[in-house]
Amino acid sequence: MSLRLKFAIILLLAVVTAMLAYPREDKIFKLFGIKNATLQVKEGLDLQGGAQLVFQADLSKTAAADRDKTMSSLLTVIQRRVSGVGTSETQIQRVGSDRISVSLPGVKNVTDAINTIGKTADLQFFIIDATTGAQSPTDVSGKDVDSATADYDPTTSQPIVQLNMKSGDSTKRFSDLTTQLSQSGNLLLTDLDGQPTFGPARTSAITNGKAQLSGNLTVKQAQEIASQITAGALPVNITLVAQNTVGPSLGRDSVSHSLVAGLIGLSIVAIFMLAYYRLAGAVAVVALFIYTTITLSLYKLSSLVPGYTIVLTLAGIAGFILSIGMAVDANILIFERFKEELRAGKSYVAALEAAFDRAWTSIRDSNMSTLITCAILYLTSSSTPIIRGFAVTLGLGVLVSLFTSVVITRTLMRLVIRQRWGRGYQQYALKENEVAS
Amino acid sequence: MNLIGRRKWWYIISLVLILPGFISLCLWGLKLGIDFNSGQLLVVTGPATTANVTAAAKDLGFTDIQVVPSGEGQTQIRFSDPSPQSQHEANHQKFKTALGNAHLVEVSFDSVGPTVSRDIARNAILSLLLAAVAIVLYVAYAFRNAPPPVSPWSFGVMAIIALLHDAFFVLGVFSLLGHFFGVEVDSLFVTAILTIIGFSVHDTIVVFDRIRENLRRERGSFEEIVNTSILETLARSLNTSLTVILTLLALFLFGGQSIRMFVLALLLGIASGTYSSIFNASPLLVTWHNYKLRRHERQLRKPKAAKA
Repeated sequence: MSLRLKFAIILLLAVVTAMLAYPREDKIFKLFGIKNATLQVKEGLDLQGGAQLVFQADLSKTAAADRDKTMSSLLTVIQRRVSGVGTSETQIQRVGSDRISVSLPGVKNVTDAINTIGKTADLQFFIIDATTGAQSPTDVSGKDVDSATADYDPTTSQPIVQLNMKSGDSTKRFSDLTTQLSQSGNLLLTDLDGQPTFGPARTSAITNGKAQLSGNLTVKQAQEIASQITAGALPVNITLVAQNTVGPSLGRDSVSHSLVAGLIGLSIVAIFMLAYYRLAGAVAVVALFIYTTITLSLYKLSSLVPGYTIVLTLAGIAGFILSIGMAVDANILIFERFKEELRAGKSYVAALEAAFDRAWTSIRDSNMSTLITCAILYLTSSSTPIIRGFAVTLGLGVLVSLFTSVVITRTLMRLVIRQRWGRGYQQYALKENEVAS
Repeated sequence: MNLIGRRKWWYIISLVLILPGFISLCLWGLKLGIDFNSGQLLVVTGPATTANVTAAAKDLGFTDIQVVPSGEGQTQIRFSDPSPQSQHEANHQKFKTALGNAHLVEVSFDSVGPTVSRDIARNAILSLLLAAVAIVLYVAYAFRNAPPPVSPWSFGVMAIIALLHDAFFVLGVFSLLGHFFGVEVDSLFVTAILTIIGFSVHDTIVVFDRIRENLRRERGSFEEIVNTSILETLARSLNTSLTVILTLLALFLFGGQSIRMFVLALLLGIASGTYSSIFNASPLLVTWHNYKLRRHERQLRKPKAAKA
């Protein structure tokens, strides 16, 4: 590939990524006729506020072979329940063998969320003998219920829960049960999670599968119970084992603080590079700029790929800023080598090629050790999203910096030393008398 | 400049830097946060003193209450809530009300149960061990064709000694900070240590790489070659560390409060990593090389003495 073509590609890459990385990218999209398109960097809980809840499933009574199946049905039920909590972008993940982590960004009432998710919602129906008070089981259970809604009793205006039985066999068995009860005058008791919740009460024969359960409930309780019943019972009991709640104030402060810190850090690095390496430093600053736009674009673009979305956390921002330092390191290694080769009396072209060849092993080997630690951090941090965020941004930063230092810096430097203004020892902070003749 | 000739001084400086923290580590250990110890941590901004926190917690049965101011008007309140985990959120709301909701803004609330904290601690140790092993193997592999007189393994081992130097320096400082200022270590701290380890080796490898290159060109004694290699990479080592330290310093001074200790750990570790890669890892290669030479000579002399 010719140098000009490479330069053109780099220029294109820089322009495209700069447009993607621009905070109001929707305005730029509009210029190209694409309306209402936005790309968002997905922010972690510590940045936007919210709660992370970790539940442990009790698998002691589940056969080892069924555990995966149980956990995935547990995930489905929790997913359905969480959609009733009312926050968007919830994330529900299995962590390790028997834990489930639920992230609820922006959630206001954590207590409600814990209650909604954690209740087993196991519904059972019992017959209470009207004369003896003896309790006997029935062949109808929560499994026969299709859905439930909260409503008001039309006569007493008390909150009630309306059950809709599944059609066919379930409705028929419920119909048989209630017909029998209405004839014998016995009472129907409904337990929720082992607690007598509705009744015991007299019932008429219900043949259409629509039952109205009343108990001593508030409106909120009725709504919670209805959504739990609709979502289905949890296959096993779960208990909360850890929680992490972040108020929205922390996130706002931290993001703006870290942004300012990042900009200050970048500017200091840029000034240092310009002062120390002059023209080469300017090339490094350009490469660093492209590095930043590529990385930010990747953060944004990853939000389009479900499952691989990069979630930016506070530690992640630190990882990104640290990776800027690493990106500069590759440039420093190359430029130091370049100066050394020039001092040894090589031509600009030969010195540049030698600098890249010799510096490459150092760059590769040294960055590999950082990548190894990132990989280990990533693998051991499934339950700690903050740490995972750090590992991802640092690792990604190292990979992108390898690309920018080796491809972009190299191409730009090759172009620069071909220009008349690109030659001259003082351009690279070298003195004539330092150079071997 | 003869850096290698003064290597004993460099070792002494390292000892002086590490020893106080190491003693503190042995005496008092680290002050473990709730990530490792389980418990509850409430961070608020506003007037919270030990007296009013203790008063507010009286009816809720909280134990081990500690109130630590953490800068920028924030206060960390750590406690143990003996009730079941599902009650903690409700209790924490009651606690806030008792503290005087109007004047306090909640920054964050964490509650970690004992099973989770055990797992976090196990994961932390596991990841540190994995990282150390992976790095020795990697360095030995990367330097597999290093020319004599140094074996690839000694590059790996010296890199590990340098990284232990950096890890213990930071652990020591945080042990002192924990004992005297109540600074706790959490899982982010482990992340910092791992990053420091990665960076320390990163830095060391650059010098080792130059030693390997200069060994191939064969000029001068091993000691001289190591010395030249350190000097040739000195500008790079210092400049790189300077840029990383400057960016971290900006983050430490202007970044968010909640990662300040994390950034401090990184700063200390990276400063230490720069020192150890220049003044420990490579000089240790020479020390080790000389030790093996002497042992070899002694072994050569022994049989002769027996014959005579």
